[in-house]
Amino acid sequence: MSDIKSDNTENMNSNHLEPNYWRSFEAFYNDPAVIEAKGHEFKEGVTDDFSSTGMSNLSRRKFLALLGASAAIAGTACTDYRDKGEIVPYNIKPEEITVGKPNFYASTCTACANACGVLIKTREGRPIKVDGNPDHPVNKGKICAKGQANILNLYDPERLKNPLIGRNSTFNEISWKDADSDIINALASANGKEIVILTNPISSPTTLKVIEDFKSKYPTTKVYSYSLFNDDIKNAAWQKTFGSGNYPLVKWNEAKVIVALESDFLGVDGNKIENSRLFAEGRDVETKSFNRLYCIDSTLTITGNNADYRLRLRPEAQLEFVMSLMSELSGKGALNLSVNTAGYSLSGFATKYNLKKKVLDQLVKDLASNKGKAIVDAGSSLSENVHIAVNLLNEALGNSAMFRSDSAVTTLVENSSVQEIESLIQKMNDGNVAAAIHFDSNPVYHLAQDFGYKKALSKVGLVVTLSERENETTSLSKYVLPINHNFESWGDAKTRTGVISLQQPVIAPLNSTRQKESILLTWINGKSDSFNETLYHEYLMKYWETSIYPTLNSKLDFKRFWFGSLHDGIVLTNETVAASRTFNSGVTSLLSQSSTAKGFTLLIKENYNLADGSFSHNGWMHELPHPVSKMMWDNYAALSEKSCKDLGVKNNDVIEVKTGSRKISLPVFMQAGTADEVIIIESGFGRTNSGTVANDVGFNSNVLLSKSTDYSPWIYSGVEVTKTGDTYELASSQEHHAFDDPRIKDLHKIRNIIQEATVASYLKNPHIIKEKHHGELASVYDPHPYNDLKWGMAIDLNKCTGCGDCVVACDVENNIPVVGKDQVLKSREMQWLRIDRYYSGTADEPKVSIQPMLCQHCDQAPCENVCPVVATTHSPDGLNQMVYNRCVGTRYCSNNCPFKVRRFNFFNFRDHFRDSFQENPILALMHNPEVTVRSRGVMEKCTFCVQRISEGRADATHENRKLKGSDITTACQDSCGSNAIYFGDINDKESEFYKYRNHELGYYVLEELNIKPNVTYIAKLRNIHSEEA
Amino acid sequence: MKKSFLDFIFRNRLPVTLFVVVASFTLTYYGSRAERDGIGYTPDQPIAYSHKLHAGDMQIDCKYCHVGVEKSRHAMVPAVATCMNCHTVSRKDRPEIIKLAEYYRDGKPLQWKRIHKVPDYAYFNHSVHVNKGIDCTACHGEITHMEKVGQMNSLTMGSCLNCHRDAHAKFPELKDKIKPGPEYCSACHR
Repeated sequence: MSDIKSDNTENMNSNHLEPNYWRSFEAFYNDPAVIEAKGHEFKEGVTDDFSSTGMSNLSRRKFLALLGASAAIAGTACTDYRDKGEIVPYNIKPEEITVGKPNFYASTCTACANACGVLIKTREGRPIKVDGNPDHPVNKGKICAKGQANILNLYDPERLKNPLIGRNSTFNEISWKDADSDIINALASANGKEIVILTNPISSPTTLKVIEDFKSKYPTTKVYSYSLFNDDIKNAAWQKTFGSGNYPLVKWNEAKVIVALESDFLGVDGNKIENSRLFAEGRDVETKSFNRLYCIDSTLTITGNNADYRLRLRPEAQLEFVMSLMSELSGKGALNLSVNTAGYSLSGFATKYNLKKKVLDQLVKDLASNKGKAIVDAGSSLSENVHIAVNLLNEALGNSAMFRSDSAVTTLVENSSVQEIESLIQKMNDGNVAAAIHFDSNPVYHLAQDFGYKKALSKVGLVVTLSERENETTSLSKYVLPINHNFESWGDAKTRTGVISLQQPVIAPLNSTRQKESILLTWINGKSDSFNETLYHEYLMKYWETSIYPTLNSKLDFKRFWFGSLHDGIVLTNETVAASRTFNSGVTSLLSQSSTAKGFTLLIKENYNLADGSFSHNGWMHELPHPVSKMMWDNYAALSEKSCKDLGVKNNDVIEVKTGSRKISLPVFMQAGTADEVIIIESGFGRTNSGTVANDVGFNSNVLLSKSTDYSPWIYSGVEVTKTGDTYELASSQEHHAFDDPRIKDLHKIRNIIQEATVASYLKNPHIIKEKHHGELASVYDPHPYNDLKWGMAIDLNKCTGCGDCVVACDVENNIPVVGKDQVLKSREMQWLRIDRYYSGTADEPKVSIQPMLCQHCDQAPCENVCPVVATTHSPDGLNQMVYNRCVGTRYCSNNCPFKVRRFNFFNFRDHFRDSFQENPILALMHNPEVTVRSRGVMEKCTFCVQRISEGRADATHENRKLKGSDITTACQDSCGSNAIYFGDINDKESEFYKYRNHELGYYVLEELNIKPNVTYIAKLRNIHSEEA
Repeated sequence: MKKSFLDFIFRNRLPVTLFVVVASFTLTYYGSRAERDGIGYTPDQPIAYSHKLHAGDMQIDCKYCHVGVEKSRHAMVPAVATCMNCHTVSRKDRPEIIKLAEYYRDGKPLQWKRIHKVPDYAYFNHSVHVNKGIDCTACHGEITHMEKVGQMNSLTMGSCLNCHRDAHAKFPELKDKIKPGPEYCSACHR
């Protein structure tokens, strides 16, 4: 990074017809260090970091003495060497359990507020994998990375195991009975003072009823709800524009033109699983229909990665942009409403913010010619007037047809306003709050520091925190009560009209934890001994029987209805979406222009993996590379290249970001495609008192939040940035496992790792990709005949959004360990599946290409030829097999793999990471028992989920039928929200997979090597205008 | 003098030593082979259960107790409750049944000594073998004659492959029904 060369004229030339792909700025500027590194299999220092000083200082004599002693002990002790241990069957076998066969239970995921339906796979009573519930109308059988990784939260060794009482900032264990009676006494003697329940948004109707009951028992109770990231502004703007309701759901699948303004609807805005599915439906190579996505935002996001056109714009300019757009459209007579856009002009705007006029012209043309079939969507972080302007624009273009009428988001409890929180803190400071109950919330970490919540908490007599694990808030509490995990809990969730999702436990509580609702119920009963395990279960059933079941007009009696519904995981109700909305024309008066932005703008963004910090103790989520920057284990200040130059900083330089009196210091990451003078910092890092994995990873962006905001709670103008002179090493995987060797000029173009075309050129010439193929190449090997079943995969790059959900699904399915930042820096991450992200074009306006890369199971696999111990071979059904017990760790195979998909266990990573954190016996319960847990010194790689194939084959034998390709799905395929992955039998001509395997857009990576991969990639088509192709 | 001493070493001493070393190694290697493979391992069990009585004399189907054998990779050792299906009424006065009933009453699991074990990295599947018509005795020996169960056959990879390669010779009665077993790695290792 030190010597970036400033000229790379060929790369800079955006009009170059064949895109020149690059992953990082270092590669873009042909940094010699990167070029040199690509020539080596492993990173420098990886194989020679064994120094004699780091070794044991045991003397040779002592070592031999110990060796002798241990041999003697072993010799005398191992008298019963034939002993093979015990088989311990059940005393009474549960009827539903067959040892070795999984059971699946429908439940609801509470990892985020979307409450998707899940199907939890359990083996012998232990949950080991989570998939989406296929019957759930919202997520339809898919679940995101957080939902997948939720399983690690269940088995987390650092979960609270017993109730704690804090005295003088030390915490001691206390019995539930004592804690409950103390708290009940304190609540009963509130004497008219307020009892506060502070919670994250509640989506369960029954939880709400519990809280209502709590309120009637303790009448001074008030409930406050907050969430760090929310759609409140968007919904408020909708209500102002149309009088009622929430911002509706969008028919992403039907929209022909999508304009995303700072909106990351494929990432963190809304339900990404549903949005990805619908968006991908609109980009289908089978029906040859493609939507067109314009992104106008401040930095690259998952949505921006998938954009056909993308423009960089600082967030405060969005209102001006929408108004200018309306002005241009109304000038063309394309608007149904008259909007006063005096003073705005699109061409003036383009000049002011240095945007490509040509792209803006195309946007105007597309919007005008697709009236009623386009949608403009503004991100939740933008201010209210932008949302109102966007509502106005959609209304004026007649785009309301693109809003869904079959389903809408419902809110059970409105979030508390800033004023409400302020008055709460005032009351706390005045000593008018008797008790503060943190209902699974972490306000000390989340709330803006200038609220002074931490200080106010010390004035409250009784602070109770219900939490799964220690965090910033528990350390300031009197009582810390451990609560059940998602998978140990009963519940229900209603986030949409017409469907209620049910949650059932799949394992008894692992520790002495309680369901959070039943803790409240115990307090409502007023007797500390009134708790029992079924308290909330019975309450839930009772509430459903008396309040929800009667409204459903079910023909079944309640018991049958209830067990049927639990089995399905969902209950469909006949609730409809309020269809009518009246446009409030007076709303245009709200479109006043806020002051123009100057200086740096700070945008605090929800991290894809950690969200608001609720996953920051989860190693898998830390190690899932950021979908854009490929960063692991850290957050950073993302800056554009120009901003970096202006500030005189480069990657890893630490800067101080200061807004008002609030400041943090964190390292810089030069992010391609970022708007100039914008700093993007992601949330969820910089935790304290939150456990071995979470503590002190990254930097806490929440300290920059303020209660008084003139734009939105996540956007701050006029931020001061100064270089501190320190450096901090960030661990990004973007140059790891690279196989596009730039030492040979233009080779990557010839190698066609990424192949792309435009929709227009494809429609004109369907063979545009196939034409580039080399035809039949000569081989020194005789082709092996595969007449029977042969496994293969097809990945549709038009549908893949690059989110990384599949990576975590693979982690969970295949027992992939967490390796830690020190190992990531050495390029030793263990994931079998990685998402390669290539940029092309210029640094400021890059086009992004995404490619999931996994073992290609080549018919003539180069890895197999070089293994000296035949530990990697080929199976008759086309799998490249890896036999761990045979591998001696020469790493020749990895060296010879052209795709760099093999992973070597340099350590027993379970032992190596954070002082044997993953060696904790409880984490062994999480492992998939059908997959070997690999130890040090062996190579591993994607197996095409061979354990699933074996299981499918055994089932087929049991049912006396032939195994079919469609019987098997891989873990990555199951998790893919946009259905981009297909798996099946290459020889089965009837199958869905066959179509993709032999698609005219299909190609193999590194085809010219003639190693015959079994993974087909469907070339990405960009839906750009034909004249630019 | 010197020459003849060397001569003695090379002509007599060395070959004899080598012979003794090689011969004793070979003898020990092959002689202990069966024991090292676990053949003949017949541990005492917490309940002196007789397969000869139940499966042999009374001809109770193996699958009555080993319920997983057709469905799962594990045959499954029966739960105490399965024994109690009969023994709540039959032979209640026998000492071993009294022991068994105590386990049942106390809800304690029975810790049977494990006899057959393949290494953790081999994923043997009972159901595919049984569903293909291969008899339990093919691996487990004449279980119906065993008062106390012991290991009869070697469970090494070599013995697996013996059958897999030569299935038709081993099971002439299944000649039309089965193909030779898979020989590729991921059939068992993954």
